[in-house]
Amino acid sequence: MSSNTEIQWKGYAVHDTKLWDQFKVTDFEPKGMEDKDIDIKIEYCGVCGSDMHTITGGWGEVKLPLIAGHEIAGHVVRVGAKVTEFKVGDRVGVGAQVGSCYDCQRCKNGAENYCHKVIHTYNSIYPDGTVSQGGYATAIRANELFVFHIPDALPLDQAAPMLCAGITTYSPLRTNGAGPGKSVGVIGIGGLGHYALQFAKAMKSDKVVAFSHSENKKADALALGATDFVNTGAENWVKEWTDTLDIILCTVDVSQHIPLSDIFATLKVHGRCVMLALPDDALPPIHPFSLMASGVLLGGSHIGSKAEIVEMLDLAAKEGVKSYIEMLPMKEIGKAVQGMKTGKVRYRYVLKADI
Amino acid sequence: MSANTELQWKGYAVHDTKEWDQFKVVDFKPKQFEDKDVDIKIEYCGVCGSDIHTITGGWGDVHLPLITGHEITGHVVRVGPKVTEFKVGDRVGVGAQVGSCYDCKRCKGGSENYCHKAIHTYNSLYPDGTVSQGGYATAIRANEQFVFRIPDELPLEQASPMMCAGITVYSPLKTNGAGPGKSVGVIGIGGLGHFALQFAKALGSDRVVAFSHSENKKDDAFALGATDFVNTGDKNWVKDWSDTLDIILCTVDVSHHIPLSDIFATLKVHGRCIMVALPDDALPGINAFDMTTSGVLLGGSHIGSKAEVVEMLELAVKKGVKSYIQMLPMKEAGKAVQGVKSGKIRYRYVLKVDI
Repeated sequence: MSSNTEIQWKGYAVHDTKLWDQFKVTDFEPKGMEDKDIDIKIEYCGVCGSDMHTITGGWGEVKLPLIAGHEIAGHVVRVGAKVTEFKVGDRVGVGAQVGSCYDCQRCKNGAENYCHKVIHTYNSIYPDGTVSQGGYATAIRANELFVFHIPDALPLDQAAPMLCAGITTYSPLRTNGAGPGKSVGVIGIGGLGHYALQFAKAMKSDKVVAFSHSENKKADALALGATDFVNTGAENWVKEWTDTLDIILCTVDVSQHIPLSDIFATLKVHGRCVMLALPDDALPPIHPFSLMASGVLLGGSHIGSKAEIVEMLDLAAKEGVKSYIEMLPMKEIGKAVQGMKTGKVRYRYVLKADI
Repeated sequence: MSANTELQWKGYAVHDTKEWDQFKVVDFKPKQFEDKDVDIKIEYCGVCGSDIHTITGGWGDVHLPLITGHEITGHVVRVGPKVTEFKVGDRVGVGAQVGSCYDCKRCKGGSENYCHKAIHTYNSLYPDGTVSQGGYATAIRANEQFVFRIPDELPLEQASPMMCAGITVYSPLKTNGAGPGKSVGVIGIGGLGHFALQFAKALGSDRVVAFSHSENKKDDAFALGATDFVNTGDKNWVKDWSDTLDIILCTVDVSHHIPLSDIFATLKVHGRCIMVALPDDALPGINAFDMTTSGVLLGGSHIGSKAEVVEMLELAVKKGVKSYIQMLPMKEAGKAVQGVKSGKIRYRYVLKVDI
């Protein structure tokens, strides 16, 4: 069967950013079905920091009521007439992007995640005026470019958080050459950080150094593949780690955590720090002198391309990358977002669809 | 002869940062002569933005009285017993660095310009407690690692500004892959910028785009090798130049000129902006989001290694790179620093020794 007219389109929506932990089941209209679209019955959805930034209004205007969630896994229930990659019943995932322009230099060259007309999985406006609604829901519709096969070796609940947190760390590791001969630092051991350690190791980096602001996550960090653990609450850590790292992924809000100049001090000549944390406020002021001292680079990154996601999922299956998740029924979404806000989760909530 | 006991050590020094354009000739003691040192009788010294930042106190503490200047050319008059590269009479130059530790990973790996114990040409403390004094002087003493042979085809006054301004732009162009297939942007057409255009062209870059805040330097920019000129005073320039550049060298103080987010908008996916300007203040605040849009990098750079300086001088000769200089007798150092501060110079003052 190529269509399923029985999907109910509804999800747990926030109606007020001041009451961001209050969710109400709300019906919604997906975008109009087009030839390359795929409808997916959602089984699981991870809870990402982006969801928090959005529903609290921290990242700006929210089109309310809004269903967040962009770490989605489930089964294909309908495919458009021009879909070639998928069929009904396939195990698939969707991440933080559901559309792009398909026509620009970036889309045509495997950098669709950098399209200037990117449609994000929630809170974006489609050309037809529909607001995209995310994965704390029964179903999602997405263009096949943004749908990914989940390898059979990966359970769907394990795969879900990889669709955003996983790829968000995998792509910059890949782009910046993590692997044999390289030393990689990961600042912050959380949703993103626990994947970064594993992928850096899976890519065979010489050293994988975990930085955390207390000893609490040390055992986990080493279990996740770190070769070294640094407690940034300790004195002299900067001196000990000066000039040791080629690549750093920073997953924490530096204005609350480590000064950028300390981060830069750990980099080798022309080393780079990729800032994956996207706090509401600006980064602390950067003086060109701090970039000059080792000729370092500070960069950003936005999820990953389809090719990178496919590669990541294969590597995860092959090297046994594990998602450290805490499963909750989707109706307990309020509890999950509160747990995220207080930093309690070790290291990702995954919600199981229950409507 | 390997010794010259007739060298006088004196230079034009600033005595008060509040009177930074007032220079008085003073005697000074160079560092103790060591086996690998080279004494140079100075003929010319370029005036660099760093000199102004230093003598005004903008960059912090100054050891007064201070002789600045680090774009030096002249002739060798004495060599230490372990000097192998130079002999008396050689035409040589010295840039912004005169010493390092010679022993660390960076020094041994061809990155002596990134040594943590770099001795700068002026205002640095040698291990023996001497304050390094710069090139608005009769002579300078430097370790041979930091002395560069000037090709015969390059007049000394032409070579002088390349010792700092030239290498400061050449090194990041080379490191970041400027050349065939690449589009390079240069923001600011001045001492650094006028070399950046020429070297980007000399390296074979597909496009060399000059950005300036008025039309005034348009003709010069094209004469210097730019393929395009952008007046950032125009509306819509950002839109016209979106997603066009692989590498940008920023030579201006962006806190007063162009928003960084506009600069980032011109970069292709994973493009990079290298900040070679070193203003007194920090950069304006950037949001992590500014870097995610195209996954770009913001970097710094510090002069260049010996190998890079040698390469640069050869390329300058081969491709006819010209220094646009205005010569003044060294006693007019005050007039020169005022001209640099007010942005009048087209594009470098070179002071001719007259004491």
